[in-house]
Amino acid sequence: MQEDLALPAIDYATKLGADYADARLEAHYNELVTVANGKTERAVVNQKRGIGIRTLVKGAWGFQSTTNLTKAGIEEATNIAFKIAKASSRHVAKPVKLAPAKAYRDSYTAEVKVDLEEIAFEDKIRQFLKWEKRLHASKNVVRGLIEYTGIKIAKLFVNSQGANIKFANTLTWATSKADARKGDITQSYEQTVGHAGGYEIFEEQDISKVASETGLKAASLLKAKAAKMEKDARVILEPNYVALLVHEIVGHPSEADRVLGREAAWAGTTWWAGRIGEKIGSKYCTVYDDPMVPKTLGFYRYDDEGVKARRKVLIEKGVLKGHMQSRETAEEFGVKPNAGMRAITFEYIPLIRMSNTFFADGDWKYEEMLEETRHGYLVINMRHPSIDDQRYNWTISAQEGYEIRNGELTTHLRDVQLTSNAPNFFKSIDASSKKGEIHPLPGCGKGDPMQALYVGNGGPYLCGVATILGGR
Amino acid sequence: MVKVLDFERVGEQILKIAERQKADEAEAYLVSNKVLTVRLVNNSVFEAKGVHDIGVGIRVLRGGGLGFSSTADFKPESLKKATKAALDASKARKLPFKYSFPSPAEPPEVRGVYDTKLAKLPSDKAVDLAYQMVEESLAYNRKISDNAGVFNLVVYHMLVTNSHGLKAKDAGTFFEASLTATAQPGARSSEGAEATAGRSLKELKPREIGRKAAEMAVSGLEAQPLKEDTYPIILDPEPSASINGYVSFLCSPMIAKLYYPLFLNKLGKKVGSEELTVVDDPLMPMGIGSASIDEEGTPSQKITMMKKGVLNNFVYDTFYGAMEKKHPTASGARTAFAVGVSSFPGKNYNGEPIPTPRNPYIVPGDWNREEIIENTKNGLLVKRFHYTRLTNPTRGDFTSVLRMGLYSVKKGEVAGALKKSRLIDNFLDILRNVDAVSDTLTVAGAWGGYAHTPTIRTKAHIAPV
Repeated sequence: MQEDLALPAIDYATKLGADYADARLEAHYNELVTVANGKTERAVVNQKRGIGIRTLVKGAWGFQSTTNLTKAGIEEATNIAFKIAKASSRHVAKPVKLAPAKAYRDSYTAEVKVDLEEIAFEDKIRQFLKWEKRLHASKNVVRGLIEYTGIKIAKLFVNSQGANIKFANTLTWATSKADARKGDITQSYEQTVGHAGGYEIFEEQDISKVASETGLKAASLLKAKAAKMEKDARVILEPNYVALLVHEIVGHPSEADRVLGREAAWAGTTWWAGRIGEKIGSKYCTVYDDPMVPKTLGFYRYDDEGVKARRKVLIEKGVLKGHMQSRETAEEFGVKPNAGMRAITFEYIPLIRMSNTFFADGDWKYEEMLEETRHGYLVINMRHPSIDDQRYNWTISAQEGYEIRNGELTTHLRDVQLTSNAPNFFKSIDASSKKGEIHPLPGCGKGDPMQALYVGNGGPYLCGVATILGGR
Repeated sequence: MVKVLDFERVGEQILKIAERQKADEAEAYLVSNKVLTVRLVNNSVFEAKGVHDIGVGIRVLRGGGLGFSSTADFKPESLKKATKAALDASKARKLPFKYSFPSPAEPPEVRGVYDTKLAKLPSDKAVDLAYQMVEESLAYNRKISDNAGVFNLVVYHMLVTNSHGLKAKDAGTFFEASLTATAQPGARSSEGAEATAGRSLKELKPREIGRKAAEMAVSGLEAQPLKEDTYPIILDPEPSASINGYVSFLCSPMIAKLYYPLFLNKLGKKVGSEELTVVDDPLMPMGIGSASIDEEGTPSQKITMMKKGVLNNFVYDTFYGAMEKKHPTASGARTAFAVGVSSFPGKNYNGEPIPTPRNPYIVPGDWNREEIIENTKNGLLVKRFHYTRLTNPTRGDFTSVLRMGLYSVKKGEVAGALKKSRLIDNFLDILRNVDAVSDTLTVAGAWGGYAHTPTIRTKAHIAPV
């Protein structure tokens, strides 16, 4: 990346009078393909280069991005970023202050074995069509879908305090989805494989096999029974379902900007604001956010403020320990910044985002959890969430379930939907299994304008209590 | 740097490059999209941010294959590279049906979609207007303790040109403004919100937004718990816009086929009550989604998607129209819903057109809103939905958090505020149970999605949270 484009922006912002400035110069290459029922529905290649300049003027933020990478274009963008920050500073009740952060100079690359551009786009599409065929593993599968995304990002971050960090990242994932139908019943199933890395993921995780499993699962749900309402049921949650649960009821409420009411307009606030140090869950309730896990969608070593990444302890043995922080919120909380800031492209201002948020491993075996359950439900694979504005009450649907009787899986269930309140659920967790998983979650939304970001989420099997809603 | 004035030249350049690279047909979709966002947080202007996105989406057809690529780099070598990328993609995307880009046609005039005053609004004035929402909310009542909101201002220009000689231009302005106010006189707290959007500066009334948000917040301070039951519910414009949004979303053949099949195979069938007629009218003067052309240059037209509860039509761009042998309805929209790509309000060049209703709304009925309330013996008035989802897209399980603005209606009168609750029901049942639609359209919505919408009454199961 060309430092001679980014550094002058910082110098110019400083010359204009900005108290702080940073710039992200980025080049993006994206591939998006959707194939369905033997046809290519969408095949897109996007390329974009540009710079986003952020200024802090008299305690107010200004930001402007541009794809005009000439000296004049960058100066114009810097001017606007300065001007709108200055205009905003007239209506600031409490000026923004930044917690100190070391100015790192570093360069790193996510490990890639097979570069996305090494394989011809047309060859990839042929492969997706082949995998899509595997979704039709049952004659009841009426629709198959493979959606692939490949992203390459080259990023240079510089700021007025001397930071200079280069990061080359590649993210690759694909979702396979099958709809099966018999009579009036339609059931669907989907699975996503993905990582920070190249095209090798599809061989490593054998997406062809995943696709055929997905098709068979969708078909098997046609014979499953619809879940029925049961209040306060004992549930064993499988890691993929836990991934969405932890994302929604621990990840989002742990964003310090949200805790401070800064997302109140649309997304909402957080029920545990001001409760750090309080016991909110059982001893099995430990949750981390960790960007340093290689090969995950949430991988990075420095965030978009140049802060060095580290594991964040959000909840430890049921005690609320901390939040994800930016330099600014860290100053408000009186803690060290912990590298929570990311933006999806140079066009957007960074926000506090999850990286990889997951429940910690426990000391149970899944088989032991099952054996200990006289009557309950195994809940498998995430579907859709709806969470209240304080992340307190949650409803999350699952793709399938099983009734457990006397330690054994019995009736296969479809249309499973759980609901509970976060503290009730956290307190109810009485077992977690030994080996957790981190799953790709490529569509986390936050911000206005919305930034859909890729994160990792997961954990082990968890035992707890929630209400089964069934369907209406 | 390419300016809007150069769009025709760049468009022609791309068509020539494509011709030289042996494309049978080519199309260039050029966009300049300027967005200014002012975020209000904790009674302050927290940040002001701008983006100026200029780029081109290139579609090519060769040997029966269709390819797409986009770039924000207008240097000749980058345009060549992007065109080649589109041609490479076309090799593996052979279409099993005949497809051609649209032919030129005279677009209709649509009034009130571009306002010079809004386009030229200085950024410091925009910041001041946004802050007026906070000022008014704080002035309304001393119990108001916090305000958060956003003001988005969009100015876009686009040009679509293709090898059939089509050369269609469009420009528009758009704003959205919203505020969420919190009243917290002591331990109790209550929220209120108001949000609207428009195409011109004269439609922007920031003080009215601030006052309405504050009113709702204060009215909720004495909220009582709700008893779980199935109630008649009166959905004011914001939640009604959400219902309209889902109906419209489900009327895209692409969405129905690939993601949410709730309306699939239901054409000609009854999916809602007699009271429900839903149209897409991008010709509406000053319409939130109005434009003279769609995003592949086809002249806009009005289409009825649902007529008296019967699913009448899906909407089609030229691609899906050719695929399903249906007449295109000028419904090609370049919606960016891909991760890692732009999702700014306004126009986006990063994606291919997909069939999407552009200015959909529930057609007003013959009820006055007040009459609907008077006619409700024991029900609920719902002013806001939050985190609304079809949690089971094949069966229609539907849920939303009634975060604020929930009131009981007793004997035809709004009786008092109720605490936060959750709607849990089935989307098709909600459509089938609509028994009243008001006679007035209001612009309402949330988080980037706005529509002209009436108040409606239906029935749903509501539980406290």
